[in-house]
Amino acid sequence: MIAKKNKKKGQAKFPVPIPLVAILLVSVGFALVYVCLHSRTETLGREIRGLEAARDRLRDQLVREQCEWAKMQSPSSLEQALKAHGLVMTWPGRDQIVRVRYGGALDTLHGYETRPTARVARNTRIVMND
Amino acid sequence: MTEPQGSTRFVSIVVLLSLAMAVLVGRLAYLHLGGGNHIQATAAKTRTFKQTLTVPRGRILDGSPAEGILALNVGVKDIWVDPSLLIASNRVGTTLTCLAPLIPMDMVDVLPRMNKTNSQFAVIARYVSAEKADAVEKLKLPGVHMSDASIRSYPQNMMLCHVLGFANNEGVGSSGLELALEKYLKGSPGLIESRLDGHRREMVERRTQEIPSKSGADVVLTIDQQLQYMLEKSIDSAMERNRSKAAFAIMERVRTGEILALVSRPGFDPNKFRAATDPQKLNRAIGYVYEPGSTFKVTVIAAALNEGIVKPDQIFNTENGRWLYQGKVLRDYHSYGQLSVADILKKSSNIGAAKIAIMLGDVRMDRYLRSFGLGSKLGLDLPGEEGGILAQVQKWSPISSSRIAIGQGVAVTGLQMLGVLCAIANDGMLMKPYVVKEVIADDGTVLLRRQPQMISRPIRSDTAALMRRLLARVCEEGGTGTKARVDGFSVGGKTGTAQKPIAGHYSETDYMASFAGFLPADKPEIAMIVVFDEPQPLHTGGAVSAPVFGEVAEQAVRYLGITPTESVTPLSSAVSADGPGETF
Repeated sequence: MIAKKNKKKGQAKFPVPIPLVAILLVSVGFALVYVCLHSRTETLGREIRGLEAARDRLRDQLVREQCEWAKMQSPSSLEQALKAHGLVMTWPGRDQIVRVRYGGALDTLHGYETRPTARVARNTRIVMND
Repeated sequence: MTEPQGSTRFVSIVVLLSLAMAVLVGRLAYLHLGGGNHIQATAAKTRTFKQTLTVPRGRILDGSPAEGILALNVGVKDIWVDPSLLIASNRVGTTLTCLAPLIPMDMVDVLPRMNKTNSQFAVIARYVSAEKADAVEKLKLPGVHMSDASIRSYPQNMMLCHVLGFANNEGVGSSGLELALEKYLKGSPGLIESRLDGHRREMVERRTQEIPSKSGADVVLTIDQQLQYMLEKSIDSAMERNRSKAAFAIMERVRTGEILALVSRPGFDPNKFRAATDPQKLNRAIGYVYEPGSTFKVTVIAAALNEGIVKPDQIFNTENGRWLYQGKVLRDYHSYGQLSVADILKKSSNIGAAKIAIMLGDVRMDRYLRSFGLGSKLGLDLPGEEGGILAQVQKWSPISSSRIAIGQGVAVTGLQMLGVLCAIANDGMLMKPYVVKEVIADDGTVLLRRQPQMISRPIRSDTAALMRRLLARVCEEGGTGTKARVDGFSVGGKTGTAQKPIAGHYSETDYMASFAGFLPADKPEIAMIVVFDEPQPLHTGGAVSAPVFGEVAEQAVRYLGITPTESVTPLSSAVSADGPGETF
């Protein structure tokens, strides 16, 4: 009896070179990392672009508000506002002014301005009501 | 037979494919190894993105504690359309109808531009405010686009126009401080170099260069907008009252030379600088020379006192108002007989001042005048300053000194005349005037900080003190400057009513009315000059300018917190014509 030839036994197995597999795996790994990083940087890029646009928009808005505020604060606007509300403001008479001296050093304008507290005091002063 | 044929065919195909591949590889190598530089350049250019980051000009702030904004850049939009798209979709009329109520458009100008079939870009409105642009954006009109722009805005409109000047639509300073401080205000633009994706959007992650822009520096002025407003308001109302052709006024801090307010009329709105005429743009306070008239007597009398040639109580004969000298007649406005030097100043006698000038001599007088800063620019940090006209002493005629003494034959700017008064108020020291206090960069670095600087010292401090007392008398009862008085303060100053020289003659109808003074007279803090050009019907400095001085000074001393003083120390000796003294 002739034994049946096992065809599979005779077939040579395709040798898979391990270094090639390793290289492929590393490449795939690199590719995945690259894709992840690229996606991340793209997202960050979009975020940066969005934030830059928001910053510019806010900056513009701030400038517009500053401009409006400057207009509202101008002496002529204040005067018009007072007029519109029927308020009449005058400078106080000489006898109505109480002067508080700072160690007697208020004799000159120069002295007035160089006082350490002068800046604060002047900032808090409401000029029209002075 | 089949096998060899198949083999040949296979080899042929392989050879052909190899050849094709070789050609492709060759082409690829050619393109990559430099042979196709122009193609590479084109590709790179298409993908490269370069953007110049525009930078806003720095702000200009006033010198008050609140540091009010006087000038700043505001973001606006330019609105443009794609005419080819609008024409193709037959939407020109609809688009214009929708836009017309929202944005200002000149239809005569816009329509021809919108009818260009081949054009894809036509600007229909420039510098549209953000609010209006938002309203347009909400309409979502096809073919209507917007781009960012920036304009210089002056929130206080006309106020301080001559000091601020204006920047043109390209953002370049063209006059005033905008021009003078261009290098600080303009800043430096930034740059972004990057790559574009397939949709022509910037790939931020591929940015190769990013240079941040540097905003222009902020400029802080010495000028206080409250004081400026007070002065402008008074000048405007006095101009109307006196039907004056023009006017100017300056307020200065005498110890430092800081300009606190500066007004010139007629003025203009820097927001609409294109509509301003040349006379409106002229800063008369520093760029207009005029014959000062009697205010000039101050210089001659100060010089004579400093030289010890005369004393305050020395008596001069003022010839009853008419004096013939070198064949020419000199007249006084009012006729007087005997007047002391102090009264010559108080009553503003031309003849008395002329006699003092003759005693002083041409050379000495010229030296003093130049030392007072006359005949040359004082060096204010604003463009357009004039130096005045003071002829070389060698060219003076025999009567020159007698005429210069009364402010004729000499021309000054308001700033120069104020400088003379400030020097007297500041113990004889002439300070360099300035309007810029400091320049501060975006990051807070101080780029420039001005310090008071002395130009010269024409007179000694004792002479200056004496002059202050003499000038205080001008505002006392009987003097010409009584209307400049401020309750609780002693005011020193001098009036001037100068006939205007027209076509080689002095006009009988047109005058320059001025008042220059300081207060408090014994310890001066501020000085001010107020000048009106051709006021009608009142035309004297005492009637027209002195009241404005008084009105503004009254508010200014309260605003600045200047303590009221007692009256100035009276002159120790008699100074009236009745007193003892030698007669000249």
